[in-house]
Amino acid sequence: MHETFEPYIVGFLCNWCGYAGADLAGTSRIQYPPNLRAIRLMCSGRVDPTFILTALKKGADGVLVVGCHPGDCHYINGNLRTERRVALLKKMLNDLGLDNRRVRLEWISASEGEKFAVVVKEFVEELRALGRNPLEGNTNET
Amino acid sequence: MKLRIAVEGLGACAGCEIAILDLHEEIVSLLQDLEIDYAPILIDKKSLGDNVDVLLLSGSVRNKHDAEKAARLSEKAKITIALGSCASFGGIPGLANLYATKELLERVYLTTESTENKERVLPSEEIPPLEQVIKPLKEWIKINYNIPGCPPQPKLIKEMFQMLLNGKPITLSKKTVCDECDLKREEKKITKILRWGQGEPDSSRCLLEQNYFCAGPATRAGCEAKCLAALMPCRGCMGPPENVTDQGAKMVSAIASIAAIDEENRVDPEQLATMFKDIVGSLYRFTLPSSIIPRKVSEGENK
Repeated sequence: MHETFEPYIVGFLCNWCGYAGADLAGTSRIQYPPNLRAIRLMCSGRVDPTFILTALKKGADGVLVVGCHPGDCHYINGNLRTERRVALLKKMLNDLGLDNRRVRLEWISASEGEKFAVVVKEFVEELRALGRNPLEGNTNET
Repeated sequence: MKLRIAVEGLGACAGCEIAILDLHEEIVSLLQDLEIDYAPILIDKKSLGDNVDVLLLSGSVRNKHDAEKAARLSEKAKITIALGSCASFGGIPGLANLYATKELLERVYLTTESTENKERVLPSEEIPPLEQVIKPLKEWIKINYNIPGCPPQPKLIKEMFQMLLNGKPITLSKKTVCDECDLKREEKKITKILRWGQGEPDSSRCLLEQNYFCAGPATRAGCEAKCLAALMPCRGCMGPPENVTDQGAKMVSAIASIAAIDEENRVDPEQLATMFKDIVGSLYRFTLPSSIIPRKVSEGENK
């Protein structure tokens, strides 16, 4: 029997933009795949690389980090810090043998519910093509 | 009664044992309370006696022989201590986790520039096979304490012996190397990543502020920042600080937090990442096997 692989995505969404955008997608009843598990943080700058590594280690096929557009951060520049953090981490993941497309950083404002749905859809498709997370301890039963 | 000590090295360079000897004259006064029962590198005694109180194990488990030796020795000791970064975190040999065993053997025995091996013979007879991955010692046997450092500073070893003699648990510094470093810190705002040897740093200022990669912010104190005193950037041998599991991830955080983001000097994130010649080797130089992703994986292996 052939089953489609359903990737498991952990999303770190900032309170002011990303989470509000996701909320808007919900209240506007925009359909998007249910593969994302959202975790609300006050700022994308709170996303410690350890969080992303731990999510991947525990079996997430992808990690989505969503922050405010540059210049719009509620805490002035938390999103710019995360942009650098994610860039360094992606390089590291690449050297550790993981496809760094598994980690994705997006800027989505509170008014971009549509964009949020598109990003999740795209990400799910991309991860489906990539296949399962190769890390051990992968408990990928969604 | 004296505290009976045993010292043994696994896959290691014997630097940790020499670090014990680096206590120099102080070792004489320590020996009033300690008795070295077994230490192949230091004294001539072939086997471990009974009733050993403390076993100091250095090095990493590189093959089956090391694994068996570690298990057999630690059974006889009341307290087992991982001495040095290899035993504590996997250490430099742990970087082998970035390669498959076959690749390593081929590189070492066939393709290094100084190798002449026309028959292409790889070692096979009477040698225990290599372990596929390096793991910190605590994943093999029960370890009571880690004493990090490459090698551990003699002062740290002395303090360890004193705590053992007083029957106290061994504690390590909860600070980071930056807390012990004497270089002057002003404002951290880096625009690039320099490697040691590129240009001449100002000998009074923080090296990280001068764009040199220094692992100080994500490394446990206890070494008295000796490398920095000699203007050598910290390489992170003391491992992650208290309550941090992944040294590399913390260092990523630290670098991202000090990368310039003002209009004038803003560093492009992608460019910042490419400034590292070997980002895993730099950020996890001593701790890859004890990090969250402890070895190189390949996409598709879990299909």
